[in-house]
Amino acid sequence: MDQFIEQIITGLSIGSILLLVALGLSIIYGSMGIINLAHGEFVMLGAYAAWVFHTYLGLGLLASLVPIFLVVAAFGWVIERFVLSLLNNRPLDTILATWGVGIMLQQAVRLMVGSELRYVQLPPALSGSMELFGLSVSSYRMFLFIVSLALFAATWLLMNRTTVGMKLRAIIQDRSVAASFGVNAKRVYALTFAYGAGLAGLAGALVSPLKSVSPDMGTGYVVDAFMVVVLGGVQSLAGTVASAFILGELSGGIAFLQNDTVAKAIVLLAIVVLIRFRPEGLFTARVRA
Amino acid sequence: MTAHLDLNDVSVSFNGFKAINGLNMRVRKGELRCLIGPNGAGKTTALDIICGKVKPSGGTVTFAGTALQDLEEYEIARAGVGRKFQVPSVFRELTVGENLEVARARRTSVVGNLRWDVRNAGGAHVERLAELVGLTEQLDRPAAYLSHGQTQWLEIGMLVAQDAELILMDEPTAGMTAQETRKTAELFARLKGRHTLIVVEHDMGFVKAIGDVISVMHMGQMLAEGTAAEVEAHPEVRRAYLGSGGISHA
Amino acid sequence: MSLNGSTSNGLQRLTAQLAPLLIVCALVFALPVLLNNDFLLNKVARYLVLGILTISLGLSWGFGGILNLGQAMSFGLGSYAMAMALKLKTIPVHTGASGLPDFMVWNNVQALPWFWVPFRSLPFAIAAGMIVPALVAAALGWFMFRGRVTGVYVSIITLATMVVINLVIIDQQSYTGGFNGITDLAQLEIFGVAFDAYGRATYYLVAGCMMLSLLVAFAFTKSRAGLIVQAIRDHESRVRYFGYDVALYQIFVFALSAAIAGLAGMLYTVVMEFASPTFLGVQLSLSVVVWCAVGGRQSLVGSFLGAVLVAGMQGALSESAAFLETWTLVMGALFVLVVLFLPKGLAGLAQVVWRWIVQRRQAAGGVAQGVGQTEGST
Repeated sequence: MDQFIEQIITGLSIGSILLLVALGLSIIYGSMGIINLAHGEFVMLGAYAAWVFHTYLGLGLLASLVPIFLVVAAFGWVIERFVLSLLNNRPLDTILATWGVGIMLQQAVRLMVGSELRYVQLPPALSGSMELFGLSVSSYRMFLFIVSLALFAATWLLMNRTTVGMKLRAIIQDRSVAASFGVNAKRVYALTFAYGAGLAGLAGALVSPLKSVSPDMGTGYVVDAFMVVVLGGVQSLAGTVASAFILGELSGGIAFLQNDTVAKAIVLLAIVVLIRFRPEGLFTARVRA
Repeated sequence: MTAHLDLNDVSVSFNGFKAINGLNMRVRKGELRCLIGPNGAGKTTALDIICGKVKPSGGTVTFAGTALQDLEEYEIARAGVGRKFQVPSVFRELTVGENLEVARARRTSVVGNLRWDVRNAGGAHVERLAELVGLTEQLDRPAAYLSHGQTQWLEIGMLVAQDAELILMDEPTAGMTAQETRKTAELFARLKGRHTLIVVEHDMGFVKAIGDVISVMHMGQMLAEGTAAEVEAHPEVRRAYLGSGGISHA
Repeated sequence: MSLNGSTSNGLQRLTAQLAPLLIVCALVFALPVLLNNDFLLNKVARYLVLGILTISLGLSWGFGGILNLGQAMSFGLGSYAMAMALKLKTIPVHTGASGLPDFMVWNNVQALPWFWVPFRSLPFAIAAGMIVPALVAAALGWFMFRGRVTGVYVSIITLATMVVINLVIIDQQSYTGGFNGITDLAQLEIFGVAFDAYGRATYYLVAGCMMLSLLVAFAFTKSRAGLIVQAIRDHESRVRYFGYDVALYQIFVFALSAAIAGLAGMLYTVVMEFASPTFLGVQLSLSVVVWCAVGGRQSLVGSFLGAVLVAGMQGALSESAAFLETWTLVMGALFVLVVLFLPKGLAGLAQVVWRWIVQRRQAAGGVAQGVGQTEGST
């Protein structure tokens, strides 16, 4: 029984990291139709930013979260403005372009700070562990779980309760109609992409104490996050949450029963089958027959 | 009278909205039938059902003795149904000649098409078609460079090339000049007899110029059928068009 | 120009399109005469193989509109087919009479697994190196295209499938050599000719296969089926209403592309003298996309040259590590620029320049205006 609960908690922990990374990707893909292959690199940038703030400015992880969000969001804004906005209506090409951007970011970081592994310290206040259902759980993982849900809530509010969110939803429905009502689609897109990038940066900063930081750390994340988005359904934030935790539990569970490789292969195959038979994701209603 | 095309009690719904509701229509072989109706009457959806783009939720579609409603689009096309779309749909990166060549679907299997046309046997045919639709000068240009009217003509030419028994035309003259529209009417008059045509149109002048029988749709159903004069005099048709300025402005 | 005798016109155009292809082939065949260095020749042969791989992607992506991000899967399968056959040829030398490849002995495998047995025959292996990738692709294509999966989703499925196969190969170490791949191979020998990786015979073998692939791909794109495949790329659903079974055409071009990639994979094993899971890795697969995009995906010769130039340049710079790192950065930037501003790659650029020159000359010669320039895409 204990083992079962432990397994569930491990799954939740994996799921909260997945959600952190996938949230930004989901916003960008769901609203702009862009599969952002540079997303993993935004995560990586966030992690490096945490390391830089800590090593050179002596800032703790918690204190640097807001500046990290802003820095990575600024990167996102620049990339949207100078690369992606030139690729309207060429969805396949945006994959290629974002992938190229990802390579550049990765390589630039490698050239500037080297490819050796970097480490970020846990915030001292959260380095202990706490009791939960009679089991000891790391406080930091608990913290991540709560933060991931909080960021989801914030994003949901932003999308559904603010003017920018409303404009964005209007553009998703019909860009030209929205434009004719005075919505500046270019600006909203740039902001959306920047926000998604900022979220990825936060995710990177938040996971950095758990894993080592390296220039190619993002590659694995982008694949996992993409699966979350596909499973959850492209335009459903709530679906993203559900699928993040489902995938977290699944990969935790399969990894427990099988070896890691088989777990990965099974998840990939499941995604392939899902795309073939339900490309709109598990948690969205079919709109047109 | 045996119908060449027979729609019997056809229905289809999108998200519970009944776009077509118990539609019946019979068209004779060689006839040119015009299909009119106010916006949202279900004209385009009716064509979609015949050519297989939309699967009906009920009813049957029979063409020359073949039940179409359960076939794939390409099977319906092979059964002899051709379709021109409202938004002109051509292959933009291919040249005009290549577009016509693709449309001339005498052979449809992959292996059957693994051949070279070095002697350019289809060339003469393609050139004749291009002449018919006035695109001889553009034969070697990518279709993306054509004007809207020329693109419409190209798609019409492609349908002639396809040589389908039943041709469905969705607003073929949209975006054409008066002169181009007149040329289209002439072309349709030539096609009539050899092909069965169903033409969806808003331009009543054009409809009167080409159509024998006019079918009026409203709210997913067949409202009236008859000659232009009969239809215009029909009280229910007048009611359906009320508020949109009468039938000739629809 | 468009009205006169259609027969000679068609032939003329075909010759014009075939010309760049033949020029490139001639250069490739002439190279050993100029280059008297076995080490360099081996390197060039390697780039030519990558060029063949890129031609195969150009066929499915540029002409069929199918962006296969797992193109290296077919390449890897081909390379393993060849490696398995060449490994079995070494058996008495490396592992004695037991009849097992060395890595199987280390992994305590008792008998040769059933799927290794037929690879004792070289002709079988060579056939399998193309047929297996083609069949796998056909099955995957059937799975995708019958379900009308398009665009981005095709890319994801192909990529994921390749990763799965890669994982399985690494995981099943005792049967596949795992992470290390299959190494210590015998030399390929056909009709008494031994193909030493550093010999001229190998170079000419690669060059011959490259020419063959280029011609087969060219012939396909010029056939009616090739035309229909391009029409599908432009407007998939429209093609259905002319009575073509779109999925079959997509499956066909997908499988043909896989067979050519498989051939390239087999040659790669001969040139590199081993097979490795990296041959069907994400890295290589995405690199092929870059080469193809840079060279020009809608041009077979362009795709080929894109691979040779970019991979060649990377190889030339790889002597110095710092240089290579900068190069990757430059490569990323170059790729983004090509995607943004040259969707048809260098081949598209060459076409524009060529047309401009022709028009200039026509204008200078006072000849009538240039009506309907033909699209010279080969």
